[in-house]
This record gives sequence, structure tokens and C-alpha cells, in this order.
Amino acid sequence: MTRERVLVAMSGGVDSSVAAGLLVEQGYEVIGATMKLFCHGEDVPDRPCCSLDSVNDARRVCEQLGIPHYVLNLESRFGHDVVDNFVDEYARGRTPIPCVRCNTFTKFRDFLKKADAIDARWIATGHYARVVDGELVRGVDENKDQTYFLWGIDRAVLSRLILPVGGLDKAQTRARAHAMGLEVIAEKPESQEICFVPDGDYARILEQRLPADAPALSRGPIVMSNGAVVGEHNGFARYTIGQRRGVPGGFAHPMYVIAIRPDQRAVVIGTREELLGGGIVAREVNWLSDAPRVGDSVRVRVRHRAPLAQAEIVRLDGDEIELALDEPVSAITPGQSVAFYEGDRVLGGGFIEASRPKRGVLPVLAA
Amino acid sequence: MPPAVNPIYLDHAATTPVREEVFEAMKPFFGPRFGNPSSTHRWGREARAALDEARERVGRCLGARPDEICFTSGGTEGDNLAILGAWRALKEKGRTAVVTTPIEHKAILGAVHQAAREGAEERMLSMTADGVVDPASFDQLVDQDVAVCSVMWVNNEIGSIQPIPEMAATAKQRGALLHTDAVQAFGKVPIDAQKQQFDFLTISGHKIGAPKGIGALFIRRGTALEPLMHGGTQDRGRRPGTENVAAAVGLARAAELTLADWEQNCARLRKLRQKLEAGILSRVPDAVIHGKGAERAPHIVNVSVPGTDSESLLMALDLRGIAASGGSACQSGSISPSHVLTAIGVRPDLASAAVRMSLGSLTTDECIDRVIDVFPALVAKARQLATAEQS
Repeated sequence: MTRERVLVAMSGGVDSSVAAGLLVEQGYEVIGATMKLFCHGEDVPDRPCCSLDSVNDARRVCEQLGIPHYVLNLESRFGHDVVDNFVDEYARGRTPIPCVRCNTFTKFRDFLKKADAIDARWIATGHYARVVDGELVRGVDENKDQTYFLWGIDRAVLSRLILPVGGLDKAQTRARAHAMGLEVIAEKPESQEICFVPDGDYARILEQRLPADAPALSRGPIVMSNGAVVGEHNGFARYTIGQRRGVPGGFAHPMYVIAIRPDQRAVVIGTREELLGGGIVAREVNWLSDAPRVGDSVRVRVRHRAPLAQAEIVRLDGDEIELALDEPVSAITPGQSVAFYEGDRVLGGGFIEASRPKRGVLPVLAA
Repeated sequence: MPPAVNPIYLDHAATTPVREEVFEAMKPFFGPRFGNPSSTHRWGREARAALDEARERVGRCLGARPDEICFTSGGTEGDNLAILGAWRALKEKGRTAVVTTPIEHKAILGAVHQAAREGAEERMLSMTADGVVDPASFDQLVDQDVAVCSVMWVNNEIGSIQPIPEMAATAKQRGALLHTDAVQAFGKVPIDAQKQQFDFLTISGHKIGAPKGIGALFIRRGTALEPLMHGGTQDRGRRPGTENVAAAVGLARAAELTLADWEQNCARLRKLRQKLEAGILSRVPDAVIHGKGAERAPHIVNVSVPGTDSESLLMALDLRGIAASGGSACQSGSISPSHVLTAIGVRPDLASAAVRMSLGSLTTDECIDRVIDVFPALVAKARQLATAEQS
């Protein structure tokens, strides 16, 4: 009997390494592959590649597991689908979420094509999420659940996707890594940053890629919601909704960025109260299950690890959706994602286009 | 999973297995003849004798005198020593330019870029679409300002052969030193330092059945050269450090064995390659074989099929037990479009579809039969996927 072939996306981290190891234990024919997504040294051909250490770790794990390892160069596609979009979104006064686009376009589209090319029935990753009966379900580790970043993948991918660590918590994953003898990566720290902004200084990427006089990086007013100018900033792309750093002091209450108005180059600040939103408009909506209808109630998440909030679908229009929140939610940020859930199942998601004000005078009490 | 049939190694331009006779010749130097050739006692003398003999034998294989042979760690060191050594020795004498081609191995390009960082004027020769240096460009760029010009004899990716004897003669007239990277050329073209006027020539052991980590640089007697490393007086100070006696002996044996039957071997490889190319073209008529119009060494085929990408093809080939290679693999192992193909004007989509198959001692008729069977099938599948995606 021939074993089913699975192509595993391996970052060199503990999760995807254990994913590969579990599949080997389960008897699959496992092929490891590391996606090379970016290279800061592209203009310096003599210098070693970036992300070399993670490639080396993934290769060492594959050597130990006794499986082949390949490096896939997806730099130009990732650059176009993820990095260019990241810059464009900041230039438009929004806060992008590159991990979602990477999953949607790179990991679960381009990578799947590589699987097709080698006749692999399955693809696998180290995401904390599960596929149950053809549906995407939250990982059992509540802290690690990564479904918030996975709503955008093509629904058809689910029938070819294995997520081996979705049933484990992080401590169990590390324990499995030790048990497999993968000491190289077993205690590797979590990567929290955006992979192509390793030092967290995203503004530097924008400075490199946008013209020096780009509005997003130019000076503009800091205003109150009533229009009163209270200060100056040096580029609205350096601000995100909910941020306090760089906001003038001297107010009775702590002040936050509550909106960015790119047409006026303005950063709007307000109180914690003003940061609350009562509704969400989202676009590029993708469904991983049959689409719900207007009037249906769903649970939504607007930020990784944010608590789930109850909402009602008030409008569905092509790939656009509008939801009314039962209780207001803080810092609904254009460019970020909203993911929709029913219980643990992921129904789908979209990119936040706008926040709607609180229902204020007409609070919706439980029907 | 091990492939159902015997794996096929079609990557002899990357490296070759150590020949049995070579392995045998080296063994005593890992055992009783372990001495340091610089020692004056009997152990030293035994090692020294073997080293001297190896130097003479490698010299004979190149038409060179023993003192013109410098053992190195391989091709990269030989290339660096020749280019940087010559440039550093000559820069004070008014020869300020270094000339090379854009299709060189990275060892050459890296060394030339380093010379440029040290103040050299870097000049790149123009290439024809078949991967041969444009003679007019050579005539124009190799002038009295040139310290050293480096042109690889046989290109490692497409196999094109450069007219090194003619180029060396021209360079000599103009007082420029000529280096050639002959790593892929040794055993494939006639090399004779007595008749040909090159000043430096690099060979590498592991491409001809000797182990990795040994090579030789021919340095014509009297040629100015600044060493890269500093230390003892081994190899006349050109290459300090205790010599790798065993590997030098291995290189000498491998070089002799290679030359003993090089014409028959080339004829055999040429026939196999013709069969491979004809087999691919008959099933994939729009396949492009790079450098086809040039005079080519008989062991290299570089083919691009429109609508495919080499990364996926190479993986699929490997998983079917067939080892080939792509453009230049970078340090991470990811494949970028080859600088060689780009330099000879190959379209980007074709450059990123290139698959190099290189033939050698392990290649049989049966290997070629299977590749002719499998490669077109994988190509058809890749194109089918590409079409499905567009529709």
C-alpha cells in the first residue's frame, strides 16, 4: 500500500516541526518545505540569505525525521501579495494584517500549487487550529488559537489540509518535540513579530518603500473628534487605532488614537469611550462554511486574542458585510480582520473597512 | 520513501563520486604515511615524496612544470587566489582593470567584485545568446590597463566552450594576465600549458573523481601573485599551511585516470546527451536547450520548458529518484533564476524553468531512457496544472 503524501510547510519553529513529526508517526509520506518569503539582502548578492537560520533549523529537523526537505522561493509572490499590500494599506491610513494575506495567498494557495506539482494529496502546517468534518475549528489551546488569521483561505483547501498540532496545547507541543528528539527547536521562543519586520520597526519598511514626501510619512495635525487641533504628528502611518504612544498629554482622561483621516493627513484622538464601536463594515468577505443570512447572529473577533463578541448581520452585499454588535467593542481598526464564529467553528471573515458608532440611544436588549 | 527503481544521478557537474582507485591511492596517507611533509625526518620525507610526486603528476596532466602547480582547497580558492593575487600584485604597476564575463561561477564574480571594492575597474565582456564571449567585446576590453582577465573554459550551467587558447594569445600580446576556470573543462577539452598561453588555470578534484576539498591552481612560472593567506613557506609561500597530502595524491590519480580515456569518455557522453536531448525534444517540441548553438562540453544539458518552473520540476524529479539541478542554489537552498541564463538574454520565465542535467560516470543508457520517459510526463503535468489555474 502506498502511503499518502503530505507536503508540510516548515518554518523551523517548534509547531511546524512537531506537525511534521506527528505525520511521520501517523504513517504519511512526509515532505518538508520551507518557504523563503523575503530577503533584505537582495541587492547584496554576496551576502548570505536572510531567514537562513530558520531554513537551517527546518532542514535539521527533516534530517532527524528522515524526510526530504526543500526550500521554496516564494519571494516575488509574497512581495507582491503581502509586502506591497502592507505598505499600501499604511499609506491609506489603515493598519494591515499581513499574516492573514500570507495565509490566504502564500501558504494556502501558492504552497498548495507546489503540493500539486509533486502529487501530494495533503498539505499541513503548524497552525493551532483544527479541521473537523471539512470545517475549520478553533485550536484546543485557547491562548494559541490561530483561526483569526485563517479565515481567508479558500474553502476547498480544507479538504486537503491537515493541522496536526491543533489538538495540542503549546506545552504539549514542546513535550512532543522533546520526545521526538528535536532538541534543536524544542525550546525555540515564539515569534511574535511580523516575519519581514523582525525588529518591529515597521515604519522603517515604509520609509524604504514610500517616497520621502509620501503623505503617510509627512507631518499633519493631531485633532480632537470635534476638529480642534491639539498637536502635530510626523506621519499618520506611524499611528494605529487604540494607540497611546505619541498622543499629546494634559487631558482629563487618557487619550487614544480613535481614527486616521488620510485625506486630511489627520490623526484623531479621543477618550476610551470614543474608541468604542457598535458596528463593523467589512469587505473581501470569505466564507469557510455556507454563508449565513441577514438577521443571523454570529460571534466575532476583531483582534488576535480579543474576546469573542456577539453580533447580528444587518447587511450582506456581495463580498461586503455589516454587523451590529450587541455590546460595543474597542478599537475596531480598518485594515485589520474580523473573523466570524459559531461556537468553535470558523464561519469566515473579512477585512474591516469601517467601524459604526454605538447604537447609543437605542441599545438592543436581548430579543 | 525510497523510489521504486534505482535512483538516477544526473548532477555530475555538481560533484562526482570518488573513484575506487583514487580512494585506494589515498589510504596510506590516513595510515602509516601520516607524516608532515615539512618535517625533516623519515615520516616527513615519506609524505614529502608523495606530495612532490603528486605535484609532478598533476603538472604533467596540464603540460605544466611541478613548481607551476599550487594545491588549493578547490575551485573557489583557486579562482580567488588567481584573481585577487594577480590584481593585488599588479595594481601598483598601473594595471587597474579586471575583466571577466557575466556567466562565470560565483567564485570568479565574487573575487572580481572584491577587487573592485579594492579599487579595480571591473569590466564585463558581452556574451552571445549561446553563451560565448563576443570577440569584439574581448578585443575592446582587454587592453593595456588590464591586470587580469578571467574567462571560464567550460560553463558549468550550459556547457558552452570559450576559445581560451586564442583569448590567452591576445591577452599575452596586450600584457594582461589570463586566468581560466577549467573546473568543468578538465577532461572535456585539451589542456596544455606548454602550447596554450594562459597564465592561471583552476581545477577542482571533486568534479573528476577525487574528494572534495582539493584542487589545484596552475600559476605560470614568473607570474606575479600576492598570496591570500600568510604563514609558513609551504608551496613557496603562495599557499601556507600543512599540505593535504592524501588529497593531493588523490587529485593526481584522478587527473591521470580522467585523461587516460578522456576522448572515449567524451564520445560516450556526447552520444548519451544527444539521445537525451533528442528524446526530450521529440516529446516536448517547444523545450529550449540553452547554448545549443555553441560548441559545448558533452556532459551538460540545460533545458527550459515554457509554462513550468524549475523548483517544482526538480522536487518532482527528486521524488521520482532523478537528481538534477536548477540555477544557482543560494545558501538557503532556494533556487533563483540563473545569472548565467539571465546574462545571455534568456527570458525570465524560461530562466526560472531551467533544469540542468549533467552526465558522467554514473550515467547509462537506461538512465537516459528513464529520464526521457519521466521528464516529459512531469512537464505535461506541470503544464496541465498551469492551464487549470488560468482557466
